[in-house]
Amino acid sequence: MAAETSVKQAESGQRTAIYVYGIAPADVVTTDQAQGVGEPPARVEVIAHDDVAALVSEIPVDRGLGTPADFSAHARLLDATAAAMPVLPLRFGAVLADRQAVTDELLAPNHDEFAQALRLLEGREEYIVKGRYEESAILRELLNENADAERLRQAIAGAPEDATRNERIQLGEILTRAISAKREQDTASLVEALRPLELDTALREATHERDAVYVAYLVDTDKRDAFQQAVDDWAEQQRGRIDLNVLGPVAAYDFVAGRGPEG
Amino acid sequence: MTVQSAGGGLDRPNASSLADVIDTILDKGLVIDAYVRVSLVGIELLTIDARVVIASVDTYLRFAEAVNRLDLTEGQQHGLPDLLDDINEGGAKSRTAGALEAAGEKLTGLLSGGESENGRDRDRERAERDRRR
Repeated sequence: MAAETSVKQAESGQRTAIYVYGIAPADVVTTDQAQGVGEPPARVEVIAHDDVAALVSEIPVDRGLGTPADFSAHARLLDATAAAMPVLPLRFGAVLADRQAVTDELLAPNHDEFAQALRLLEGREEYIVKGRYEESAILRELLNENADAERLRQAIAGAPEDATRNERIQLGEILTRAISAKREQDTASLVEALRPLELDTALREATHERDAVYVAYLVDTDKRDAFQQAVDDWAEQQRGRIDLNVLGPVAAYDFVAGRGPEG
Repeated sequence: MTVQSAGGGLDRPNASSLADVIDTILDKGLVIDAYVRVSLVGIELLTIDARVVIASVDTYLRFAEAVNRLDLTEGQQHGLPDLLDDINEGGAKSRTAGALEAAGEKLTGLLSGGESENGRDRDRERAERDRRR
């Protein structure tokens, strides 16, 4: 990540750099409503080169990035752009020295790769299906299926917390492991349910201990209704057990990772 | 159930919580280091990058306590085995759904971040992730 290659600027206050949000087709335009990172929100500019363009803001280098407002600004700008045209979202925190560097080092050398990726995103949008286990429901399910867990439950029931610390830890560990196994099963079930739609699919790591499913889909616009229906049907099967949300459309964050940092 | 199907369906953007946004923009998307090296500017990031779930003793104890609470609130009228059978037979149409929802944590607690139990979990998960580096 850019922050780790810390290039310290000698003087503070006047120095600025160019924050890059993402890459879009060269005919992208920004409106006055577009607000960038920073406080007050930076103006969003377009730097175009041949067929591709970078969405950028000039920001002071002496101010850190990463307030909730910064995160929202990055996400909102890219999601709004994605609603109108293909866009390659950059991970939060990409900063280059100046406008010239955006053209010379980012856009020009990678032009064809970016242009091709943008073409592949044409007419498709990302949705994220996120489900979380209802705590009581999943705990009951696990206790019912796991004799060790049920035995430990009985051991701690009504007993003082301090006296049953070991049993509690053991019980929690069993449940945590069992939820991981459930997560795998339920993710497989969701993926299977949507398989007939033949959508590009990206599994996400769980970010919460009760995450049940966390899957990103790249949905062709003409399959949107079928996608919605399939997700609704699966959610209905899981009612009372998994609380399901569909987020999106968002910029295609999960489908642009063409290269690792070492590439 | 909060699937956005009742109204405009997927045509209407479904607002992401800050937690969802962070999951996405700190962990996904093109990494600029892969494309540019010379002119990278390191700007201090105020927040640490994306989280993963790390099982900890605290997590275990919280689950155990949740199990304990489960019994206290609902184990009085029925024996637990009866309840469990109900859940299993009921499947998707669990009769206890209302009560379970009321007992469950609310996802909206994540929106404000920091002060909810979930917010603290996240901070700790971040910290643990850092320590592993």
